[in-house]
Amino acid sequence: MKNAALSVGIWLCLCCASLQAQTEEEKELRSTNEATLVGIGKYNIKDTYLSPINYNGWGLRILNERMKTVALGNYRFSRQQMLNIDVSFTDNPAETASAFSGFVDYTLNYHYRFAPQKDLKILVGPGVQADLGFIYNTRNSNNPAAAKVSLNLTLSAMAIYTARIREYPVTLRYQLDMPVAGGLFSPHYGQSYYEIFDLGNYKGVVVFASLHNQLACRHYVTADFPLGCFTLRAGFLNSSYRTDIHHIKTHVISNSFMIGFVKEFISFGGKKLKQKERYSSAYY
Amino acid sequence: MIRRLLLYCTVLLLFVSTGSCDKEDEYTTSPRENFEALWTILDEHYCFFEYKEVDWNQVYAAYKPRVNEEMDQYELFNLLGDMMAELKDGHTNLISSFDLARYWKWYEDYPDNFNEQIQKNYLGTDYHIAGGMKYKMLLPDSIGYIYYPSFSSGVGESNLDYVLYSFKDCSGLIIDVRENEGGSMTYSDRIASRFADQTVTAGYIVHKTGPGHNDFSEPYPFDLEPSSRIRWLRPVVVLTNRRCYSATNDFVNKMRLLPYVTVMGDRTGGGSGLPFYSELPNGWSVRFSASPILNADKEITEFGIDPDIQVNMTEEDIRKGKDTIIETALKLLKQAAERP
Repeated sequence: MKNAALSVGIWLCLCCASLQAQTEEEKELRSTNEATLVGIGKYNIKDTYLSPINYNGWGLRILNERMKTVALGNYRFSRQQMLNIDVSFTDNPAETASAFSGFVDYTLNYHYRFAPQKDLKILVGPGVQADLGFIYNTRNSNNPAAAKVSLNLTLSAMAIYTARIREYPVTLRYQLDMPVAGGLFSPHYGQSYYEIFDLGNYKGVVVFASLHNQLACRHYVTADFPLGCFTLRAGFLNSSYRTDIHHIKTHVISNSFMIGFVKEFISFGGKKLKQKERYSSAYY
Repeated sequence: MIRRLLLYCTVLLLFVSTGSCDKEDEYTTSPRENFEALWTILDEHYCFFEYKEVDWNQVYAAYKPRVNEEMDQYELFNLLGDMMAELKDGHTNLISSFDLARYWKWYEDYPDNFNEQIQKNYLGTDYHIAGGMKYKMLLPDSIGYIYYPSFSSGVGESNLDYVLYSFKDCSGLIIDVRENEGGSMTYSDRIASRFADQTVTAGYIVHKTGPGHNDFSEPYPFDLEPSSRIRWLRPVVVLTNRRCYSATNDFVNKMRLLPYVTVMGDRTGGGSGLPFYSELPNGWSVRFSASPILNADKEITEFGIDPDIQVNMTEEDIRKGKDTIIETALKLLKQAAERP
């Protein structure tokens, strides 16, 4: 409960600060960096509610990311939103059973920005991550699937460096996100979903999660290459999610190669649209 | 100060995240490792050790010396199947690509109390089918007869509406669930709710909270609520035999609580543990009872439920092509109809 109050408090502070500095922002238009990447990679999944065995296979991922500096802290903060959707298809080592997984997660980070030297940015800050997913084992009956629902406060760190190779700029980024505290859904050790959802015994299925029972991290490395009218972003994403709740151990580990395009744009909306002298629209 | 704090957080992130990824490959065909894996899965998850007074450590001691690395997969399968049979549990199976190890003594050692050929003398060939149910009005007594051979065969609310409406002129109803070895408890609840006149506590469910043999949750009650659709509040006889197992046992457990219902035939086979699946490193599947379901008196019905009226099919009736249990049910319902 205290954690929930704390996270709401941080949220309100961030929102208020953002509103106060609205007029400042209007003076200088701040662009949004957006990238959409698709990825493919290897997955390693285990959920002891379903099986004590590791399942291995491959998966697909779509990741949309938006970053923009915000008024908070006199524009020393930037906001990053990441929406990730991934699916995987895995088999047990004997190839006698299969599992499918699907996850959707949304992350909102506020990074404090350091610029220790030219072309280098260091970003560190808190965030919130909501995750919804499942692991489905095709063979099991009363324990066929494990639902994954969580809401976490996260810590995030990022380094962005623009290297110049014979005047050709390549922007490199390394990012690490990690949930530190939150809540998640988990059935009890031998509890069926029939008992939870059909009979309505929800007692204890939402638990407090922190580093003692939830250890997750997402390492994300990208490189941006300007190519003619486009900017290509290539990357590697390592995601590791581990929990140990109610004696049920879970891990979902993936290594994905990512590729997509980046665009930098200025967002117009709401009352900014009234300032018609500042833009030329094909629609308005 | 803020900068320093954020820097510390960065260092913490890097420290905690280091080495958090791994990749294990647990595949093995080693008889010893698969024996250990099976014994451990059941040791940590099986739910009836105490109720059945099975000393699982003693089972380990008895079977471990019989496992050796020279065994072929068939020998190993048979040995592991024998070990699982020590649990005397019809929900406990070992499943490979070439065989299914099972314990079926819960009906094999008892009279059949069902004969499909004789049932045809009542059901005929002109019966109706709604979902997984076969149904017909038995003449000349105008008694409704439903045969439901599997709770794995779906029955929708609309199916039940039509079936019960077709018996609107009947004074009594027989629901024959003999040979029904279970399936989905959703159908058990759905059908039983058509015979409930008020909400009753139908039973309790318990789950394991940890790997210890006695790590159980508090019993959680569940109700049987009357359906809001067509209901049958006239005399009903539910016919049972030893092959009534699992979801069928649950159905009988619910029906026996209702005022218009008489359970007739033989004791059910039981199977009151909700089964879960797991697997061995060599890819064989393991099925076992994981979550006990108790009756309204908080008793385990793993070994079956006694009928209200015990009736066995007699040799004489079988020779005459008569089903003693159906005949007795018809007699009971006729008597009930004749009462003022």
